[in-house]
Amino acid sequence: MKPFMHGLRWLVFLLAAFTMNFPVIVTLVTSLKSKAELSINPSLLIKAPSLSNYQQIFNMADRFDIFSILWNSIIASLIGAFLPLLVCLPAAYAIARLGFARSWLLPIVVNLRAIPLVIFAIPLYMLFQVTHLLDTRLGLGLILTLVNLPLTLVLLVNAIAEIPKDLDEAARIDGASTRHILRHVVFPLAWPSIATCLVFGFITAWNEYLFGLILTTRRAVPMTVGASFFFSASGGGVQWGVAAAVMILGTFIPSLLGIVMYRRISESLTSGAIKG
Amino acid sequence: MTLVKLREKILLVSPLLIFLGIFLLFPFIVNILYSLSDVDFKTLRNINISGVQNYIKVWKDPDFWQAMRFSLKFALFAASLECILGLFLAIFLSPLLKKRSWLLAILMMPMMVAPSLMGLMYRLVLHEFVGPVPFYLWEWFGNSPAFLGGKNLFYTLSVIEVLQWTPFALLLFYVAYVGIPESIVEAAHIDGAGRLKLLQFISLPLIFPALLVGFVVRFIDSFRVFDNVFVLTRGGAGGSSKACLFIFTNIFFNSAK
Repeated sequence: MKPFMHGLRWLVFLLAAFTMNFPVIVTLVTSLKSKAELSINPSLLIKAPSLSNYQQIFNMADRFDIFSILWNSIIASLIGAFLPLLVCLPAAYAIARLGFARSWLLPIVVNLRAIPLVIFAIPLYMLFQVTHLLDTRLGLGLILTLVNLPLTLVLLVNAIAEIPKDLDEAARIDGASTRHILRHVVFPLAWPSIATCLVFGFITAWNEYLFGLILTTRRAVPMTVGASFFFSASGGGVQWGVAAAVMILGTFIPSLLGIVMYRRISESLTSGAIKG
Repeated sequence: MTLVKLREKILLVSPLLIFLGIFLLFPFIVNILYSLSDVDFKTLRNINISGVQNYIKVWKDPDFWQAMRFSLKFALFAASLECILGLFLAIFLSPLLKKRSWLLAILMMPMMVAPSLMGLMYRLVLHEFVGPVPFYLWEWFGNSPAFLGGKNLFYTLSVIEVLQWTPFALLLFYVAYVGIPESIVEAAHIDGAGRLKLLQFISLPLIFPALLVGFVVRFIDSFRVFDNVFVLTRGGAGGSSKACLFIFTNIFFNSAK
């Protein structure tokens, strides 16, 4: 019975892993097929693997500059990961330690997660037009910050609540200012949570699509929107091999971060969901 | 803690408040004003209030209700399926995952992929000439349905959503499941509870809060889903079949007419 159940569990695991990752596997396989092979072989097996699709991406910089698009995503996502932290850390301290604004600020921010942000598209577009933030990495980063606020605030409030109270009380009695406590007590002790926030915020920001679509047109286009360029040339004109290679490049960084940090992400994701 | 003055507390929350004021309160107010006035893309900056006629218009629009119904049905269906599958996998695979936690990383992979890219990937997967799914269906069964057409669209979108987000439910339930204190399980064993009884009377009630949270979170996220549906159905049939898409297309396409 025992080895049978064990084998069954492995079978179910492999089946689940294969099915859920199926699109990624297919895209990876397709990206490694040459153009000639693509037209005759849609199966999952590659007869002659080739990197020609990837080469082609790097050689079409005049029409589709992959490096600048990746760079756009990196910069905007970095802003979208760090800025929520800067904005939320002091507020999280006030909420968790001083019991200030807990009853209204926390629910407002947390409930943001339930709102389809598309409803703010027009006013934000207008705001960005006036402030010349349209089609800039900074502008996109600011919106990604808004997207990341809820989870960041919840995680930071939880993290600060877990720090022993005695520590910052002792610091305060020694005459430390709140700013000092934030920097030298809270920040180092909450660092694991902060790091998770950063990584998770980066992944979420990287994967955002809607605002990239609305607020950028040429110079600040992020990876998610850039990849869809290959499909908007509608009709039969999609170069599937190249498109697949672009999607793999667009998935690579968040997946790598996810694999490296999976343990912490799974913890924070679940704690964020429960408290949220 | 009386040492901290009110002024300082306000100072602490002010960055967040300022940010929310600009990026949340402002758009919110503008939206309400717009909803009460007669605007199009050319008159965005001069608002003239003209009453609640926009609300009446939407209320009477059958497309709006159809989109709402589709969204509700979709969210209910996807969230339920995700929770059922996630619960089964979490409990059934837990002995395996406890020993080799890196297996979780493989199961979490789909969550790291941008939903928009996931949608595009499915355009490849389901494509009639280069997609492997139609290829194998033809090979094995001699037939392949139109995945994105007519009645199939709902199920195709649901399955795509379920396959990407079942890992979330799985993860949530798994963490709750392995968090059940060993002593409770042992006590139930000593009292003679079998596997099924243990599951029915101990495990499931204890992880019920997680089940509820998982369902609500997934319901909300599926209800407001946009990216993958947009890239999959743009230009095709049922373009405004979802509530968020309805909003989007109304803003950016219909008003441009």
